[in-house]
Amino acid sequence: MSRQCFEYHPATAYRFIPGLKARVPHESGGYLLRANGDGFRCDREFVRERTPGLQRVLVFGDSFTAGDGVSNGHRYSDLLEGLLPETEVYNFGLPGSGTDQQYLAYQEFAQGIDHDVLVIAVLVENIRRIAARFRRYQDDQGNDVVFAKPYFTLHNGALVLHHNPPERRPIPEASLPPEERGAVDRGGRFELLRKLIRRAGLQQVVQKLSGYQPVPDYGSPRNPHWLLMEAILSAWVRGHSKPVVIMPLPLYQHVEGTSSAAAYQRRFAELGTKLGCAVHDPLPDLRQYSPLDRRQFRFPIDVHPTREGHAAIARSLAPTLAALLPARHHGTRHE
Amino acid sequence: MSKTVLGISAFYHDSAAAIVRDGVIIAAAQEERFSRKKHDPRFPRHAINYCLEEAFVEASDLDAIVFYDNPVASFDRVLRNALTVGPAAREQFDKAASAMLGHKIWLNDHVKRALGSLGKAGSVLVAEHHMTHAASAFYPSPFESAAILTMDGVGEWATTSLGVGRGNQIEILSEIEYPHSLGLLYSAVTYYCGFKVNSGEYKLMGLAPYGEPKYAQLIRDHLIDVRSDGSYRLRTEHFGYLDGMVMTNDRFHSVFGGPPRAPESAITRKEMDLAASIQQVTEEVVLKTARYLRKETGERNLVLAGGVALNCVANGKLQAAKIFDNLWIQPAAGDAGGALGAALITNHVYFNEPRTPPVGTRDRQQASLLGPRFDSNQVRAYLDRQGFPYHRITDDAQRMTAVAGAIAQGKIIGWCVGRMEFGPRALGARSILGDPRNKDTQSIMNLKIKFRESFRPFAPAVLVERNQDFFEIDCESPYMLLVAPVRKERQLPMDMARFRGGDDDMLSVINQPRSDVPAITHVDYSARIQTVSPESNPPYYALIKEFERQTGCGMLVNTSFNVRGEPIVCTPQDSYRCFMRTEMDLLVLEDCLVWRHEQPALTDDENWRKTYELD
Repeated sequence: MSRQCFEYHPATAYRFIPGLKARVPHESGGYLLRANGDGFRCDREFVRERTPGLQRVLVFGDSFTAGDGVSNGHRYSDLLEGLLPETEVYNFGLPGSGTDQQYLAYQEFAQGIDHDVLVIAVLVENIRRIAARFRRYQDDQGNDVVFAKPYFTLHNGALVLHHNPPERRPIPEASLPPEERGAVDRGGRFELLRKLIRRAGLQQVVQKLSGYQPVPDYGSPRNPHWLLMEAILSAWVRGHSKPVVIMPLPLYQHVEGTSSAAAYQRRFAELGTKLGCAVHDPLPDLRQYSPLDRRQFRFPIDVHPTREGHAAIARSLAPTLAALLPARHHGTRHE
Repeated sequence: MSKTVLGISAFYHDSAAAIVRDGVIIAAAQEERFSRKKHDPRFPRHAINYCLEEAFVEASDLDAIVFYDNPVASFDRVLRNALTVGPAAREQFDKAASAMLGHKIWLNDHVKRALGSLGKAGSVLVAEHHMTHAASAFYPSPFESAAILTMDGVGEWATTSLGVGRGNQIEILSEIEYPHSLGLLYSAVTYYCGFKVNSGEYKLMGLAPYGEPKYAQLIRDHLIDVRSDGSYRLRTEHFGYLDGMVMTNDRFHSVFGGPPRAPESAITRKEMDLAASIQQVTEEVVLKTARYLRKETGERNLVLAGGVALNCVANGKLQAAKIFDNLWIQPAAGDAGGALGAALITNHVYFNEPRTPPVGTRDRQQASLLGPRFDSNQVRAYLDRQGFPYHRITDDAQRMTAVAGAIAQGKIIGWCVGRMEFGPRALGARSILGDPRNKDTQSIMNLKIKFRESFRPFAPAVLVERNQDFFEIDCESPYMLLVAPVRKERQLPMDMARFRGGDDDMLSVINQPRSDVPAITHVDYSARIQTVSPESNPPYYALIKEFERQTGCGMLVNTSFNVRGEPIVCTPQDSYRCFMRTEMDLLVLEDCLVWRHEQPALTDDENWRKTYELD
């Protein structure tokens, strides 16, 4: 048994069950998870007013930000509080979500929360999730079930929201019309091949030899999925009055050098210039570590960041945030 | 300095985990509740996960992780047994050696793999089996000092231990060692009567009132020599467990005139009489031992643990005999309780932490509600996601009125409220509830809900202040571990002529009302009592109180929330599935009421009647 951790939410499709306290079994042995009253994995309750004497950073993202695999206190968001003086970080990470759902979470839950900097952490894989209309999960019996998710499409350059609110109940995959079945996010490309290669333990070799590109959608600025990503982030950044940092989070293939990151780095750099916002790319910092150290940034099987991975991301991001936070707090603490 | 200790029991039956912080029990649970495999003996990774969750502690921050049994000492017993018995013990030795080499010796690896850490100690500590039982009996009890009696099948060597607990220390005074074991004798008769060892013993106990102790003297003459101080020796040549993997042998069978009853075949008068006989012998040993222990220790209080302590009929006799002024029994008396004892003894003896006073309840066991809770948010998250209709009643009084009203109308209720029980009994957190006044309740619950034999009695959950209105007992029984007679004036005469005339059909007895609360009155007018107080389980107490307000009867029928062969439910998901597979009328999940008639049909259900092995 592991506890059901999520509940339905009409805006984002789901969120953590408010007030949840759980230990999630994991290959690391398990990790502790606590959700606040708004249903986010944050030790702090979200309050609109400032905490006297503290500056505030809001962080949005998916499971890399929510911290799948590590306990709350070991995530980069929480570690930032130790690196930046007098700073509190609100973590709005939503595992399994795309940037579209994260944007909706921002609209639903973050309005009116006074803060200094907004961080949008885009796991580069999210470009696939924003194209999806359904996501596959496992129920408590280990059966695959499909849930609808909200999603945007672009019509004449404008974002149009669909599945709003999404269907509450699980949908039998077989009942989806054929044209919708391709819109189920199954966790990446080449599902069957991936499983076979992983089972054979040849993942890294095959990726290296084949020059595998896990996120090909960044290859062209005219790619429709990139255009959608660009539109979502543009709407988000332009609608926001405080400093924004977009942080593209690399996949392990990028960190460990088995796949090229050049395409997505180019796209996000272009977007930063276009929007006039900060883009913090942690990859160059992460690549500074030895190959052995970099391998410790993810678990043996699970690709989510380990404590070490989170710590490296926090160290990379902290100076960028320090520069954007009010001048009296410039500088970072040293561990 | 604060100490947090995780206790683990595993690899025999009823694996479990428990966590103790500064002497206070934070959590305890059996693995079967999570894995859904009854009496699951595997490494309790789910139970451990839950314990760490409840304590909200990182595994690396645990001060100690303790196993409830010394595998080397257990192996020593098996080895010496093999050397004594010779080649005939080969099969048993192979199995024990493989358990030792395959599991127990790799304890550190099991723990490291499951938790990711061995805690601050860097290695798993081991405790002595009967010491952990003794610790589970003494430390959670309300007593500052007490005599301790533990009896079970076998630990490393000990099968019966007599000791004394004072303050935070425990001393074992004497032991009876394997192969002499009252627990194994009871299990041998259980096996001979066609029930499963390590789980069917309570069926045998339930069968005893139908029989006469005709075989008691035969048991004394051939199987066990009981001395005046309660110590005993088994006539080991009659048992199969020394040189094989079965409990009995041909000599044993010849004592009782034939082979064992085939499981699931009709129960005959012979099994009833055997059940009554072994029950009588067990009570004799327990009472004699208690008298000796009282004399030796001078203590006024007695605490019990070990599988034999789950024999609530013997416990009732012990209570009634007034050998000790006060009696306390560990509700998880079997091996699961060893996890709790291991954590407690490490806390109090290894770390020398003092005992803390009870909080809320009269003892330190916290009503044994030590398992997970699924609050209203979690319940609704499940029901909403699945689209199951429900009615949320947040006002406690209104909710109790509705539920008690349903019970008064003869409805059968599934009740999943609060933290799950630790131990084999449902105590009002994962219970099926009904009206004790209704003469049909017992048969409905047995045949349409539990899908089991109908001879077994149901237990009453009675308001603590009404206990003596119903039963001839002068103490509380919060853990359903004492049996006492229904008061004489409530008893109704029964026509036993047909049954006593030789008709083995128990239904002729079962279907007769035996008192004004027939559903909980056994054929000998006894009842396995649970007293419920407002501090032990507030919502459960409130429900019974409301039932009393509506009906005048301060009692409910309580049976475990499961079907035959299934572990007691844990989660709202388990509860809903069990509810829909049976003919219960209403499911209460915290403040949500789920009516059966409003639910969609259960689809894609597994063939669950084959999923669960019978006891």
